[in-house]
Amino acid sequence: MHRNYTGVIKVLPGERPFRIIHAGALRRPIERCLTLFGGRHAGLAVEVEGAGSRECARRVLAGGEYDVIALADQAIFAEMLVPEFVEDYFVFATDQIVIGYNRTSRACAAIGPENWMDVLLAPGVSYARSNHNLDPCGYRTLMVWQLAEKFYGRPGLFAALDAGCPPAHVYPKSIDAAGALLEGKVDYAFLYSSVAEQLGFMRLILPPQINLSHPAYAEYYATAAVRVEGRAPGEQTTIRGKPIEFAAGVPRNAPHPGLAGEFVALLTGPEGHAILEQCGLIPC
Amino acid sequence: MKKEHTGDPHAGPLPERLLQAHLLLLLAENPAHGYELIQRLNEADFANGEADVATVYRHLRRMDQEGLLASRWEAGAAGPARRLYTLTPRGREVLDAWAASVQEQKEKLESFLRRYGAHKKGGEARETGRGGD
Repeated sequence: MHRNYTGVIKVLPGERPFRIIHAGALRRPIERCLTLFGGRHAGLAVEVEGAGSRECARRVLAGGEYDVIALADQAIFAEMLVPEFVEDYFVFATDQIVIGYNRTSRACAAIGPENWMDVLLAPGVSYARSNHNLDPCGYRTLMVWQLAEKFYGRPGLFAALDAGCPPAHVYPKSIDAAGALLEGKVDYAFLYSSVAEQLGFMRLILPPQINLSHPAYAEYYATAAVRVEGRAPGEQTTIRGKPIEFAAGVPRNAPHPGLAGEFVALLTGPEGHAILEQCGLIPC
Repeated sequence: MKKEHTGDPHAGPLPERLLQAHLLLLLAENPAHGYELIQRLNEADFANGEADVATVYRHLRRMDQEGLLASRWEAGAAGPARRLYTLTPRGREVLDAWAASVQEQKEKLESFLRRYGAHKKGGEARETGRGGD
């Protein structure tokens, strides 16, 4: 997507626009930061791509040239991009997994932190998640289900929740799962709290022992694990649960490394903090 | 621009005020980033209950703005760069003020318990006396 955040596009022939690739869940904060950034760089033309974070990393691996890459899981940098493609990356925000829903969601009057799984598994109720091979929210949702099985002492809960979410309700990225909820295609969706807040959904807050928000439960989270497609085609890798952390970096082949560093400084500094908070994220 | 800290440890609601003291103490022991501080806070025997992640990070940013802490990016050996917080001389002064305030509160609470103990003892003696009538 080619956008101009200052009103005038000044891209000379052969000149590359400032390009950002980001986790879909970061669309709103990135756009707001770009609006601020564009005000300081009159005429700056930008291209913004949103995708699942693992897909973002694959596009960099495939030779894509970007100035900034911002992902929903800091661990993807180490797993796929560092040191060949990115040297340094910066943790800038955290979040938690929630169940988003709206007033028309089936059985929403009855749902709570102790019975949500029974509501979701009831006949006629549908729920969405994102694809664990493409998007951290997808594998984090599967981890939440694994942790819930232990936390609530409900053997077989993970398998039941997995079976209850058919492929048609598994979306490429969490923002697409949110879109399905918005359009009424599903009753509930496993989302980041910030995305649910930005879109005005009601949110069921899950216990900190399972919602991947709290560093104090890092060891407990690590007991959950999900197999996903690895860096190379056909390769599989295991991802362990950990507290959610978003991170950003400047790829080594960034066409505009100076501007990119400036943008990352904005995102991770006081102005970025204010924007992240407005968007429901926790700046850190 | 740095905001001036009032230096009054009694400003603001109690749990938030105590969280500031706890974070200042942990940072006096060792510089740390927020993730580690939340873990240490949760293990500390002086803290009540589970630390709220958003509240801790908000406090760290505020204390950074007020000049009680200084922060800089620290690159991990094989991981991400995180914001590392250290205590400033002004932060140490506020921590000292906190310790004095806690000491004063402790003495008042001990005085309360002594007086309560005396009252309780007197009440029991009166009950025993009445039982003897």
